[in-house]
Amino acid sequence: MNEAHGRLVPASYDAVVIGAGLAGLTAALRLAEEGQRVAVLAKGVGATHLAPATIDVLGYDDGPVDSPARTLPEFADANPQHPYRRLSIDLIRASLDWFKACLSDHGYRGGLDQNLLVPTAVGVAKPTALVPETMAAADLRQGGRFIFVGFRGLKDFFPAYLADNLARTPLPGGAAVTTRVVELSPPLGVARDVSATGFARRFEQADFRESVLAELGRHLMPGEIVGFPAVLGLEGARKVWQELETRLGHSVFEVATLPPSVPGIRLYETMTGALRRRGARLVVGTTVAGAEGSGNRLEGVVAHTAGRPLTYRANSFVLATGGFASGGLQLDSSGEVREPVFDLPVAGLPGPEEPRFERGYFDEHAISRAGVAVDASSRPIDGEGTPVYENLHAVGATLSGAVPWREASGNGLSLASGYAAASAILEAS
Amino acid sequence: MPTLQTEVLVVGGGSTGAGVARDAAMRGFATALVERGDLATGTTGRFHGLLHSGGRYAVKDPVAARECVVENAILRRIAADCIEDTGGLFVSTPWDDPGFGDDFLRGCLETGVPVEEVPVAEALRQEPRLEPGITRAFAVPDASLDPWKLVSACTRSAAEHGARILPYHRVVGLELHDNRVVGARVNDERNGEELEIRADIVVNAAGAWAGQIASLGGCVVTVRPGKGIMIAMNHRLVNTVVNRCKPPSDGDIIVPIRTVSVIGTTDIQVADPDELEVTPAEIEEMFDEGEKLVPGFRKARALRVWAGARPLYTLDDVADPRAVSRTHTVLDHAKRDGVEGFITIAGGKTTTFRLMAEHALDTVCEKLRVDRPCTTHEQPLPDSEDERFYWLGARVQAQEPVPGSEEIICECELITRRHLTEAIARRRPTGLDDVRRRVRLGMGPCQGGFCIYRATGILHAFEHLDHQAANASLVDFLQERWKGVQPILYGDQLRQARLDDWIFQGLLAVGHLPE
Repeated sequence: MNEAHGRLVPASYDAVVIGAGLAGLTAALRLAEEGQRVAVLAKGVGATHLAPATIDVLGYDDGPVDSPARTLPEFADANPQHPYRRLSIDLIRASLDWFKACLSDHGYRGGLDQNLLVPTAVGVAKPTALVPETMAAADLRQGGRFIFVGFRGLKDFFPAYLADNLARTPLPGGAAVTTRVVELSPPLGVARDVSATGFARRFEQADFRESVLAELGRHLMPGEIVGFPAVLGLEGARKVWQELETRLGHSVFEVATLPPSVPGIRLYETMTGALRRRGARLVVGTTVAGAEGSGNRLEGVVAHTAGRPLTYRANSFVLATGGFASGGLQLDSSGEVREPVFDLPVAGLPGPEEPRFERGYFDEHAISRAGVAVDASSRPIDGEGTPVYENLHAVGATLSGAVPWREASGNGLSLASGYAAASAILEAS
Repeated sequence: MPTLQTEVLVVGGGSTGAGVARDAAMRGFATALVERGDLATGTTGRFHGLLHSGGRYAVKDPVAARECVVENAILRRIAADCIEDTGGLFVSTPWDDPGFGDDFLRGCLETGVPVEEVPVAEALRQEPRLEPGITRAFAVPDASLDPWKLVSACTRSAAEHGARILPYHRVVGLELHDNRVVGARVNDERNGEELEIRADIVVNAAGAWAGQIASLGGCVVTVRPGKGIMIAMNHRLVNTVVNRCKPPSDGDIIVPIRTVSVIGTTDIQVADPDELEVTPAEIEEMFDEGEKLVPGFRKARALRVWAGARPLYTLDDVADPRAVSRTHTVLDHAKRDGVEGFITIAGGKTTTFRLMAEHALDTVCEKLRVDRPCTTHEQPLPDSEDERFYWLGARVQAQEPVPGSEEIICECELITRRHLTEAIARRRPTGLDDVRRRVRLGMGPCQGGFCIYRATGILHAFEHLDHQAANASLVDFLQERWKGVQPILYGDQLRQARLDDWIFQGLLAVGHLPE
């Protein structure tokens, strides 16, 4: 303990989690649920605010994946360095169940056996394992007559483009989809440029909903399924969505669109709220840049705050700082890849003569699978397979071996690896 | 085959061709311009954006320097909207021979480049990020020049004087009749249709590609394309054009242009101006040289890298491309090769494009035996009539009266929905990449991460594109951006690129768009 700073020095914890994306929040919440004293230290909000709140476990292998449960064993065999190789189907299934229970007021639907197909904002039918209830009516597997709603003043959603593509998307089993579009001009006051979160706040206001309902009601035809951009409220989303369904008399769903992700913000708020209720400490706006330890045991991490460095001590630590997108991995101008918090060994790097990037944007780039390799207990390992610290675990996009944005595996990996690390910590204690 | 009749046919839609078309049309000639791609996509759209004061050439290339002095002053009058009056500095860094400053000063005085030595402290006050160890600094009237605006303004002016401007028309053959070029066969690259253009005279203004066009007329013009690479950094590291005060060499200029700053350049002779490989060694050299002008350069965020091909022309075989004068020559193929009705304007650079056009048209007048004086130096280009220079705050200023009153489609470059739809309506683009050059769409720090989806949606609706055309435009734009990003992808720009991957491949799954 740092005596010089007296009472400002934080107490020591059972576990310190670095990073507040889905992987970090999952590990932290599971540990907190089991009675551990947990601190989450994060530089900022995580990828929750960028990604749709769907749980994509495995969406694409060679082509779209129908059943992750069926495809995963083969997928793991073909990709021996992939994190899914270490995460059993049972564990992934348990993590999904845990997540659904923990986010019960989001009403997540789906599971590991059968992917749903939901439209992206460009009209691709994307496979995903779990969706919040506000997105469930989008499921394209049965086909249907869809109408997509745009709003004047919302530049992040173009329903006509979405509808054009979706109508031409071949669906499994020959399910038939028809699409059409309506653009509404709800009252926005003087504002002409309203963000997704701006619309979400407006949807929490009854008079705004009334004007949308009045305008939209005139356009709907019986049996149409109504797709909105994912802006249907923040804390009150469930109520907003239910009201729209009830009052319109149609199934209603949300389509994820450009960041900031409104459904992702809801997910973050629910998980961090649950953490706080369980007494966990959440520090957002602090950068962890150093470790204290003896031998192969980590004693504490040093966080930079506005004033001075602070050491957070704990029995176990979880690294959930993300990949290159989040700064959890860094590539410098000389081509060196670093994990900046613990300077952990980085695996999955291209060879010295191998180009880091291909010329085709959609090609797979050699550097994409770079990251931290871990053992069966989720602990970062060196080239010999030895854990770097006996009490440090790594989760989420920091891990090597995956290309989550191509595989549509991002949130699935974060959830399962975060869950697995918490299990390993709980077992060890 | 449809036929178009004209007096002057200009081949090439860079600054030279656009200048020639404008000059020809203003002298009263029926004029047509053909360009194989979009306007300003060859060398003009790939230069660093420097309007030379002449200082760069003052010591080694006095002819080019004198031309720059005159043309710089003319362009400030006629093309103000394309110019940001940044001013320029030549500084002696600790790595440069301090004695060169005297040569430089003498060269400037001899060639008429306006120059003033400024105290080092003042130069550092003006540009605080400059290397603090500089020993001398000289102020010159360098400026930054927006090449797309320039070419667009020239071709609009030409069209106002009756010229036909035909981008995406590739010359596939020249029609020869009794040793006389009487026209050209061109291919409309958008629909594959051929068109015959009959002309009294063909002006080859194809720059680095002039040798290829000349050979279609059976003439040999030895262009030695000089490859130069440039790297755009994500913000304005300097607000003044900064040059190393030393003989011209690699990576010795940083040009602040619009929202970015561009470091350049290299000079490597290449065989084919369409094959411009950017090598890691060249990139490293730019970073190393950048550090000498602006310490910490390497830690700044590099947005993208590209290469352009200087249209160097010389009769002699030379080892060092930098030894070739940057002035220009008008080649009359009648005198030179016995082919009538065909001239080539060879060499030169964007700063002197107007003078090149004037010289080309003087030759045209001479050959057609008419006496029509040049007026391009007197009449301002469209949007430059009030002689007000462009300034960086222009787009912010336009938003200021009522913030939030317009949708901003590209936040990096402050492009509004209205601005974008106007550009689409004016250009009838084949894809987003054409719109990009008009309004700088996707050219800021996020390299299109947020605006490409929006712009695709707007283009799809506005032009009533089918899903295939809209998808092709989206995918092509992503590929085009990637090309310039991937060789320099590291640090925070990799973070940005990875966020873009999450948006386009993760969130939108554009890799799985329907056929």
